[in-house]
Amino acid sequence: MDRVQFLNIAKSKNKQHISFEIKYSYLFRFLLTKNSMRNYLQKFKTLALALTLLFGVSIMTNAQNRTITGTVLDASLGDPVPGATVLIKGTTRGVATDLDGKFTLEIQPGDQILVISFVGYLTQEVEIGNQSTFTVNLEEDIQSLEEAVVIGYGSQDKKEITSAVVGVKPEDFNRGNVSNPAQLLQGKVAGLSITRPGGNPNNGFNIRLRGLSTFGANSSPLIVLDGVIGASLENVDPNDIQSIDVLKDGSAAAIYGARGSSGVILITTTRSGKKDGNVNVTINSFATMDQATNLIPVLSAEEFVARGGTDFGSNTDWREELISDAFSYTTNASISGGFQNTSYMASVNYRDNQGIVDGTNNQRLNTRINLSQGALDNKLRFNVNLSFTNVDSESINDAAFRYATIYNPTAPVFENTESAQERFGGYFQRDLFDFYNPVALAKQQQFIGETKTALTSYRVEYDFLPNLTWSAQYSQDRRNTISGGFWSRQDFQVGFGASGSAERNAFDRDQKIFETTLRFETDLSDGLNMTLLGGLGFQKTKNEGFGARVRQYLFDLGWNNLGAGAIRLGANTNLYSFANEDQLNSAFGRANFNYNNWLFLSASVRAETYSGFGENNQTGIFPAVSIGSDFTQIFDMGIFDQFKPRVSYGVTGNLPPSPTLALGVFGNGNRIDLDGDPLTTNDIFVGIVQNSNPNKDLKWETKKEFNIGIDFGLLDGLLSGSVDYYTRNISDLLFNVPVATGAPNPFDPGRFNTASSTWVNLADLRNAGFEFAISANRLGKGSLKWTPSFNFTIYQKTQIESLSAGELGFDELRFATPGSPGQNNNPIIYNRVGQTLGDFYGPRLLGISEGGEYILSTTDPNEFERLGNGLPKGEFGFANNLEWGQWNLSFFFRGAWGHDLYNSYRGFYENADGASNTWNSVITDKTPTNPLITSTPTFNSSYIEDASFIRLDNMELGYNFKTNSPNLSSFRVYFAAQNLFTITNYTGIDPEVRINDSENGDGFTTSLSPGIERRNTYFQTRSFTLGLTVNFK
Amino acid sequence: MLKSIRKTFLLIPVVFLLGSCWELEQEVLDGVTPEDVANSNNPQLIDVLKASAYSRIVGSWGGHNSIWSINEVSSDEMAIPQKGADWEDGGLWLRAHRHTWAPSDEAFNNSWNYCYTAIGEINNLMISFPDVAALNAELRVLRALVYLWLIDNWGNVPIITETSSGGNPTNNSRQEVFDFIESSILENVDLLPKEDTKSTMNYYSAHAILAKLYLNAEVYTGTPRWADAEAAADVVISGPYSLSSNFFSNFATRNGGSTENILTLPYDENNAGGFNLAQMTLHYLSQNTYNLQEQPWNGYASLEEFYNKFDDNDVRKSAFIVGPQFAADGTRLRDISAEADDPDGEPLTFTPEINMLAPNAFRQAGARVGKFEFASGAASSLSNDYPLFRLAEMYLTKGEAAFRQGKTDVALAAINMVRERAGMPAFTSLTLEDIYDERGREMFAEASRRTDQIRFGTWNDPWWEKGQSEPFRALFPIPLQQINANPNLTQNPGY
Repeated sequence: MDRVQFLNIAKSKNKQHISFEIKYSYLFRFLLTKNSMRNYLQKFKTLALALTLLFGVSIMTNAQNRTITGTVLDASLGDPVPGATVLIKGTTRGVATDLDGKFTLEIQPGDQILVISFVGYLTQEVEIGNQSTFTVNLEEDIQSLEEAVVIGYGSQDKKEITSAVVGVKPEDFNRGNVSNPAQLLQGKVAGLSITRPGGNPNNGFNIRLRGLSTFGANSSPLIVLDGVIGASLENVDPNDIQSIDVLKDGSAAAIYGARGSSGVILITTTRSGKKDGNVNVTINSFATMDQATNLIPVLSAEEFVARGGTDFGSNTDWREELISDAFSYTTNASISGGFQNTSYMASVNYRDNQGIVDGTNNQRLNTRINLSQGALDNKLRFNVNLSFTNVDSESINDAAFRYATIYNPTAPVFENTESAQERFGGYFQRDLFDFYNPVALAKQQQFIGETKTALTSYRVEYDFLPNLTWSAQYSQDRRNTISGGFWSRQDFQVGFGASGSAERNAFDRDQKIFETTLRFETDLSDGLNMTLLGGLGFQKTKNEGFGARVRQYLFDLGWNNLGAGAIRLGANTNLYSFANEDQLNSAFGRANFNYNNWLFLSASVRAETYSGFGENNQTGIFPAVSIGSDFTQIFDMGIFDQFKPRVSYGVTGNLPPSPTLALGVFGNGNRIDLDGDPLTTNDIFVGIVQNSNPNKDLKWETKKEFNIGIDFGLLDGLLSGSVDYYTRNISDLLFNVPVATGAPNPFDPGRFNTASSTWVNLADLRNAGFEFAISANRLGKGSLKWTPSFNFTIYQKTQIESLSAGELGFDELRFATPGSPGQNNNPIIYNRVGQTLGDFYGPRLLGISEGGEYILSTTDPNEFERLGNGLPKGEFGFANNLEWGQWNLSFFFRGAWGHDLYNSYRGFYENADGASNTWNSVITDKTPTNPLITSTPTFNSSYIEDASFIRLDNMELGYNFKTNSPNLSSFRVYFAAQNLFTITNYTGIDPEVRINDSENGDGFTTSLSPGIERRNTYFQTRSFTLGLTVNFK
Repeated sequence: MLKSIRKTFLLIPVVFLLGSCWELEQEVLDGVTPEDVANSNNPQLIDVLKASAYSRIVGSWGGHNSIWSINEVSSDEMAIPQKGADWEDGGLWLRAHRHTWAPSDEAFNNSWNYCYTAIGEINNLMISFPDVAALNAELRVLRALVYLWLIDNWGNVPIITETSSGGNPTNNSRQEVFDFIESSILENVDLLPKEDTKSTMNYYSAHAILAKLYLNAEVYTGTPRWADAEAAADVVISGPYSLSSNFFSNFATRNGGSTENILTLPYDENNAGGFNLAQMTLHYLSQNTYNLQEQPWNGYASLEEFYNKFDDNDVRKSAFIVGPQFAADGTRLRDISAEADDPDGEPLTFTPEINMLAPNAFRQAGARVGKFEFASGAASSLSNDYPLFRLAEMYLTKGEAAFRQGKTDVALAAINMVRERAGMPAFTSLTLEDIYDERGREMFAEASRRTDQIRFGTWNDPWWEKGQSEPFRALFPIPLQQINANPNLTQNPGY
């Protein structure tokens, strides 16, 4: 039924529009029904959709009269131009050229002129006449070849850029099932670390640019999405991205002032550039299978018993019980086009990503509409961008991964005893320390999140003069999350003692930004061009939320009925709400000079007043200057066609992690029962307590960055690249510093420290790095083309210069204890003044005695040695694109070297000590086996492993079918694989760099303990994707 | 929507041009500012604030890693044996037991912060309400109590009062701290109420502080003050208190009605958490005995030598949990992970004997601390009030002080009050060792043993799994974290 309807309409006149709507509604129904179906049905539906599209397309191609063919060539090189648009003038019919620049088009009587266009070339018109074959030579459009790079508040020709800015285009993005925009860039930009250890579809990516430049929460680069500062990545689907530009150095980021210290990533979404009435519809659909990979080897049931392990008489592979292959589906559909002063793009993206454990999944529906309209001869322009995203996620207690690895392999999953049925829902459980059936844990605890984001932005521009433009933009970024947690009455870990427990939480973030700018461009004298930009910005952010947790249920009703939980006070219960609001006012300006296209200068300044600064430091000023010169414009540089040395210096800042830290606000203290009798309740109050001491001097962090680099191009554009060296000095670092409790507070004269810490600005960190990137442009002869690109970074790891401010401060910060059992009080990371950040410290393992005892260098914490560091010495990415006829193959290697990881599975579970009777043991390549270690697991150098690795991160093989239809511009089928193999000596779960510790600290200190692989890490996955992309016109 | 956008579009630039919104005021939406507190006219605020100051000392006295922990584990009445992988914790608790601790050990820092946070809170409160005489008197005495803990554990600590100024404080001598405590009490004690206030300061609890201070004066200052100790204890004994006929009623859940407890930390699972003894001492499986909400941690146990100082007829011997263990429904608990060489095998049995301190103490070994009642269904935070001072201790203090002055009859009368309540025959003669042991039996698990051992000169002696320790170990080290945060602090000698 659907198919017939679809075909009929496809033949009708306005087919692009209507067929899209039908497809859209089909798709929508597909999405709606999908949730309730089982896996195989979902697979069938995807297939049906694909077949329908295929079939419909082939029918469409048969309703025409005369066929013409032709080739579009580059006029100067004579190479074919693939993807050029060939259109019949005055109609919406046309095709795109294939990889050989060839096209086939059916024409109707009355068609007279072909219009051939392609980005970077001048549009050409050719009379059809009676000809049936055409050869069209397109002339390069020199003007447009000057690739624009998006910088803050505008864009600049690449040749004019004088700071370290890297643009990444869709053709360079990572392939496969990529749901998060950050993943598109993984390994692509020198100096940009993007990591997500393990394969949890709900985990975000950790992003770090040029190493650590703050201790605080804002260690990820600032995201600017279509001009909206601080937007969340959830607002954009990877499929809708037209370009991503990374502002790496301080001078580029300084236009974002107190938010720019961690670098800036500018994301621009797709908008239609076409104004000719043409419509482009793209459907991209793929299915992905994920498998668990690189599981740490453990003893079999027989080996476990042979070592003396407790025998429960069964034989269970717990990981097999927990995990299964996961199937995920994604469909993106977009429509774009324009006419005269209007252009639009609308898209819908649906992603259903399943994790390898039942109960972990992430479903996302994103809708976007970008609309531009000009008026008054296009002097007045309106732009509206709307994007709405719904994300539904389910997750489990990640401890299930740990127990699946170490749970007793002789234990059965279920136990058919009355007691087990009654108490644990039939699951096998035993009253042992830290001993929970992983399958029960995954089933009897549930966690969900439902996030709705809406980003709406409205922009108006008016050209007062051709060279004087005013703009104003208002945006609202709203994010609302409801989450739920549930612990069954029969959940042995938490729910059993609590008689069942459930919680519900809601969080809401609302950020409103208004910015207005004035831009003026003029030629000051012959050959000296100047562009001035000035602007004002106002931002208001509000965060609020509430939640409750109760316990003691008669039935397992979970978070849908908190009222059914009888106990609402005390352990395993909670009731709270919170709200905070902050404001930021900015004024900024920038001047750019271009002297005869060989000397470029840029200078900018931003002033920011933030409500969260202390009353003695209200406004920060962030200046920057950069200069560059293209030597090829002055000298004969031989093979170089660009050789542009550039130098830049910029100051950026970082805001305090919470707006009220300067004030010493009183939060909730203990419950106070004035008469001490809990039975009389009219005298119970919640007391007040100052959780951090006030600091009236609190201000922004300051990062001063110096960058020197060269952009180069040689051999007529065949090779291009850049080299950069930077140094960063970070001062006034924000940190919650331990202070003498009870002592007078120097930042609030007359009062005393009631909290053991105060937020202050400390000095100093220093780091530096060297970055190199080079890419070649379509090497090779004939129909085989190879486009490689390579980048690497060498870090000079972050050095702690000082951790003091005045008489406050300290010489050392110890962090990250391995955990229970038995390693609760021994921090393994010491951050010491004068040394690199995040060094591992502990005893060195000198050997193993005959009886299997450790021989350690010392047991005195003061004599511990530096054992390693979790941050990498360098990272690299190596991308390759091969084209051969209709085929293309891309593969991408990525890696990091010089970083260590603490392998916590080995650190707890490889010894044959008493505990190994309870828990299974891991047997990695590095586990000593002769003799087995009999000592109690104690942190030492042998658990710090070099985790350098090279990974075939992703590859994709695609085939572009030749299309003869005027309605179909391309039809592509592809197969992609992610995480195919990894070469490493590391024996844990995932050698990926850990820039944060998932279990340490309060959110402000997690970056001070890098390099720890925790036992609850989600298993690594390998993915295979099959998909197709269809472009209609 | 559209309207508001249009408004915003128009308004924001206009407002800006007026220049009125550049300077920003940070609003506080979910907390109160110091100004709010100063401007409040809620009559109950002052009571709540005072109670907040008390709640600082309630805090974590009875939790793990606390001032209680370091006092108990370093004394000869308790240890935390290492059970294989469990409780190694970087060797912290083994060092505490063996008297080889380091200034960086976290428990010292927790305990120090516990004391000084309370002092900061008290000082701020005194600044806020300088004109309320009764409140200030009470707060000064409360502060003196905190300094009693500081002088006992660290000795040379900074004295910070509501009039202190300038940045980081420096150490005061132990004598200065002693004088400060003494004068704080003497100057204010007459302003305190004389009725039984239980969990806030009164006339008698102030004298109990004095009694303890004078009893240990020789340790603290080199000059004994036995007569003063006796006199102070006498004042307390004259107060509205009497020994409970049931020793354990003083430690029961909801023991607020005890006639014997003078000053308590009023723990409550909902209103004042932090007393986690059930978690700290019980075996994992004991969850089934008491229907606990959370699985216990199998940590603190008593030493066998200490256990054996109790006569079988001594009522107080029930302060230990020993022998076979049962679930609430009467079935025998079985620890299937019991060590193969544990002679008790799987059936869970707490034995006074502990096979070793580390690394492989048997999971079931050690008498557990059962002095405080564990209510069935208890949360990890107990609802038993913790006595900081109770009448029995005052009798023992009076007895010891009298005996040391040669007044054996007075001493016998006082000490026998306590001894007879425990169901033991009265002493007819007395030695210092008798008093020492009697104090040990009476005050077990009330964080008194370390102080007693130091005063009776047994602190540095070897005992089970501990060698002779250096004399400087009688003071704990000033925590490394505090010295890092405040370079003006001088470390105690020896560290």
